[in-house]
Amino acid sequence: MTVERFRDSDGTELFARFELGACLQCGRCAGGCPVSIRSPLNSRALIYKAVIGADDEEILSREEVWDCTGCRTCSDRCPRGLDPGGVIRAVRTRKIEGGRIPKTLMDALESAMKHGNPWGRSRMRRAAWTDGIEVRSLENGDESENLWFVGCTPSYDPRCQETAKSLAVVFGAAGYDYAILGNEETCCGSEFLRLGETGLFEELSETNKENFKELGLTGIVTTSPHCMNTFIKDYGEMGIKAVHYSQPLAKLASSGVFSWKRELGIKAVYHDPCYLGKQNGIYDEPRAALKALPGLELFEFDRSRERSLCCEGGGGRMWLEGEGTGERNAQTRVKDAHALGAEVIATACPFCLMTLTDAAKTTGLEEKIRVLDISELYAMALSEEEQG
Amino acid sequence: MRIAVFVKHVPDTAEADLVLSPDGRSVKTGGLPHQMNEWDRFALEEAVRFKEATGGSLTAFLLGPEEHEESLRRCLAMGADRAVRIWSGELAETNPGAAAALLAKAASSDAYDLYLSGAQSSDDGYGLVGSMVAEALNLPFAALVNKIEPSGGTLRITRELEGGFGEVLDVDLPAFLSIQTGINEPRYVSILGIKKARAKPIDLSSPADLGLSGAELSDAGKGLSVTGLSAPESSGRAEIWAGTMDEIAALFVKAVGEAGGGK
Amino acid sequence: MSVFVIAEPRAGELRPVTWELIAAGRALGLGPVTAVVPGGPGEASRLAETLKTDADNIIALEHGSLAGGSGGALADALAALIRERAPRVVLAAHSAAGMDFAPTVAARLGAPMVTDVLSVSFEGGSLSAVRTVYGGKLEAKVTLAPAPTVFATMRPGSVEKTESSSSAGVEIVPSGASGPFAKRFVELVKEAAGEVDITQADILVSVGRGIADKENIALAEDLAKALGATLSCSRPVVDLNWLPKDRQVGISGKTVKPKIYVAIGISGAFQHITAMKDSGLVIAVNKDHRAPIFGVADYGIVGDLFKVLPALTAAARAGI
Repeated sequence: MTVERFRDSDGTELFARFELGACLQCGRCAGGCPVSIRSPLNSRALIYKAVIGADDEEILSREEVWDCTGCRTCSDRCPRGLDPGGVIRAVRTRKIEGGRIPKTLMDALESAMKHGNPWGRSRMRRAAWTDGIEVRSLENGDESENLWFVGCTPSYDPRCQETAKSLAVVFGAAGYDYAILGNEETCCGSEFLRLGETGLFEELSETNKENFKELGLTGIVTTSPHCMNTFIKDYGEMGIKAVHYSQPLAKLASSGVFSWKRELGIKAVYHDPCYLGKQNGIYDEPRAALKALPGLELFEFDRSRERSLCCEGGGGRMWLEGEGTGERNAQTRVKDAHALGAEVIATACPFCLMTLTDAAKTTGLEEKIRVLDISELYAMALSEEEQG
Repeated sequence: MRIAVFVKHVPDTAEADLVLSPDGRSVKTGGLPHQMNEWDRFALEEAVRFKEATGGSLTAFLLGPEEHEESLRRCLAMGADRAVRIWSGELAETNPGAAAALLAKAASSDAYDLYLSGAQSSDDGYGLVGSMVAEALNLPFAALVNKIEPSGGTLRITRELEGGFGEVLDVDLPAFLSIQTGINEPRYVSILGIKKARAKPIDLSSPADLGLSGAELSDAGKGLSVTGLSAPESSGRAEIWAGTMDEIAALFVKAVGEAGGGK
Repeated sequence: MSVFVIAEPRAGELRPVTWELIAAGRALGLGPVTAVVPGGPGEASRLAETLKTDADNIIALEHGSLAGGSGGALADALAALIRERAPRVVLAAHSAAGMDFAPTVAARLGAPMVTDVLSVSFEGGSLSAVRTVYGGKLEAKVTLAPAPTVFATMRPGSVEKTESSSSAGVEIVPSGASGPFAKRFVELVKEAAGEVDITQADILVSVGRGIADKENIALAEDLAKALGATLSCSRPVVDLNWLPKDRQVGISGKTVKPKIYVAIGISGAFQHITAMKDSGLVIAVNKDHRAPIFGVADYGIVGDLFKVLPALTAAARAGI
C-alpha cells in the first residue's frame, strides 16, 4: 500500500526531507513548546500526520501552525536530532503558497516586498530616528568595515527607536567603530523565512548579501538577535562576523571606557531572548554588560538561560493574533518579575521589549515594572540629565 | 464562463512627499513604491473565484507602462489565462475618457460574460473608467458591488449603500460590475508565485494595434482636463485645539461634518 | 441656462445631499435650478413635494421600474430626460447611487464629466471643479470642455445647504424608458446586526487603554451613536476582554481606512498606528501631549477624556 504523504511546496515528502521515520513520537518536542500551554499547536501530532499520510487538507487547515515563535526549543530537545520546527515551517510554506494566510500577515509580507520593512512604512523614513542625534552613517560619508545593522523595528517603532537612539549614544561614548546604512538598509528577512515565505527571504537576503559584499564589511553588529541569528544561520558563508550589540558592549564595559554619570539604583531581572540565548548560546555577555552598570542589582528568573520563557514575539508572531485563550507568556513573565521584587525587566531584543511592555499594561503592572533594553540602561547611566 | 478583469498599478503615496511635474498638472510617481490598486485586488480575487467555480477563462487587462507589469504578473500568478497590457510610448497622460476608450477597444476583441474592475483607483479616484467601458461595450453596469450570487444566466448582486444598507439587483449577463472592497478576502500571492508567473507571456497592445488613431484618442480624452495640482491647506502634525470645552466641541463637530460625517 | 440636480431618494425619503446639490446648483449663478426626483408613479411626486420651498422647478420622473431603487431604468430615464431638456449642467451626488447611474448617463450622452468634487464654479463658459487626489494629499483643479451639457458629482458633506424660499411647482414626467431592463431592482436590505466589520465603517470611534475600565466604554459608545459611527479599539482593550476581537484596530487585528477616525485614550503604539494611518480625518484625544497618536492625527484634544467625551457627544447630538 502506498501512502500519500504530506509534501512541501517543492513536492518533496516531509517524511524524506526531515527523516521522520526516526521519530519516536516521544513528545519531548511538544512538551517543551512554549506556546502549547495556550495553543492547540502540537509538533508531535503534526509529525505523526505527516508520516501516516493524513489528508493534506486537514493539515493545511490547521491555523495553529501560525502560533509557532521559531524559538527552536522543540528541535533542541529532540533526542534523535530531528527538526520539528522545520516541519512546522514547511507546513507554513504550503499555506503561504496556497494563499491562505491571516490578513495581518499578508500586510506585513506585502509591506516587506514593497518597502523593505514589515511595518508599512516608507523606505525614505527608515533613518528618520537619527534626526538630531550623532550617528555614523555610510550615507553621510562616514566609513567603517563594521556595519551596525539597526533593523526594521528599532528604525520605525517609536518605543524601539529609543533603543536605537540609546545605542548610538553608547557607541559614541565608547568611541566604538561602526557605521549604519541609513535609508539603504533593508529587512534581514529573518521572520519571513520562519513564516515560510522563502521567496521573500531569498529576495531580501540576496539584496543584503550583495550590499554587504560591495561594502567590503568585516563585521556586522545588530540591535536585534533576530537579525544576527539569520545572518549567521541562514545567509550562508559571507565571511563577515555577525554579533549582537551586547557582545562588544560587555567587552567595552570591562575595559573601563565608560565614565558613568550616575548610580542607577535599579533592581533588574534579565530576560533571555530565544534568538540570542537558546539559539546562539549567548547568555553571559548580556549579563556581564548589565553587571557592569553602576547601581544595578541583577536578579535571575527561575526560567532563565536555556529555559527562558519565550515572549511569543518571534516567528512572525508580531503580526499574528495566535489561537488559544488565557494568559500570554509575556504576562506570566511580567508577573514573575514583579514577584521576584524586580522593578525593571532588562531585554536585549526589540520583540521582547514590545511584547513585555504590552504585557506590563495588560497585567496592570505598568507602574510597577518597567521594561528597558540594555542599551537604554546604559544610556541612562551615561546621561547627565534626570530621567523622567 | 469567460471573464475579463481590469486592473491598475498605482503608487503608494502614504508618507511620500509628492513632487509635481514642471507643468504642475501631474505627480512624478517614478520613484514611489507601487502596487495593484486595492479595489482591483478584490475584483481580481472575485474573478479568480468565478473562474475556479465555473471553469472557463480569465483575461486581465492593464493600461500602463512596462514598469506596471507587476500587477499583470499577479493576475497570472493567481490563475489568469491571459494578460494584456495596453500602452503607447507617446501617451504622456491618460485621463478617464482616453483610458476607457483604450480598454474598451482591447476588451472588445473577444466576447466575455462577466467584466469586473475595482470601483475606483487610489490615485485619481474618479470611479469613471468602468462605467465608460461598460457603456462603450453596451453592457449593463452596476457600481460598488459587494456580493454576487449566480443564478443561471443572471447574477443577483448587492450594491453597498450608505449606512449599512444594500441594494439587491438582478443583472443579466454579459454585464460589467465595479467591485467594492470587502466583497471577499483576496488570497496572498507569494514571491515564488510571482516569479513563476514571469515565465508566462504578456500581450502588448498599442493604440494603433487597437485601431485608435491619435486624433480619436485625444477626442476621447478632451472632456476633462486637470489644470493644476496644489497642496491642501492643512497638513502636518496635529493641530491641537485650544479654548473652552464648548469651543473645542464645536470645532470637533465642524471638522467631522466637513469630512463627510453625519447622516 | 438651466441647472439640473438629481435628487436622491432612499427608503421613502430624500437624502440630505439633495439639498446640498441644490445649494451648489444655485451658487453656479447660471439660472434656475430644477430638481429631478426619480421614483415610481405617485412615489416620485410625493417625494418631490418635500423640495417645493428649495428648488426653482421640480420634475417628478416617474416609471414603474424606478420604484424603490436604481435599476437600469434610472439611467435610461435620466438620459432620455436630459437629452430632451438639455440643461447646461447636471449635478448628482458622488454617493453609492451617484457612482452607479451618473457616469452611465453622461457617457451615453457623450457629455464631459467629473466626479467626487468638493466645489463647482462656472467660468468663461466652462465648468470648473476642485477635487482631491492621492487620498487627499493633493487638490486638483479640473475644467470640463465646453459642451451643451456637462455633468459633475459632488462629495456629500462638501457643500452647505442654504435656506431658500421658493415655491416650485411639481411637473410630473412619465418616463418613456422601456424595458426589458438588463438590470432590475429587487429590494433594499439592511445588514444584520451581529458580527461587526469595522473595516467597512465610514466613521470609527476607537478606544484605548486610557478608557481605564470596561464600564467607561459606554461614554465612547454614546459618542459613536451620536456620530453614526462604529466602535473600535486598540489591542489592550481586547486583551482585557472589554471588547470583542472583531473591534480591534491593529497589526494583529484589522487595518482600517475610514473617512473619520476618532482615537480616544489611545497612545498611538506603532502596532495601532500602522493599521489606521491611512484614515481620512484623524482626531485624537489624549491627556499626554507627547502621545505618538498626535503624530498621525490631523487635530488633537489634550485633556481628560472623561471630561472631553461627554462634551463632544452633546455637541455632536446637537450639531449633526
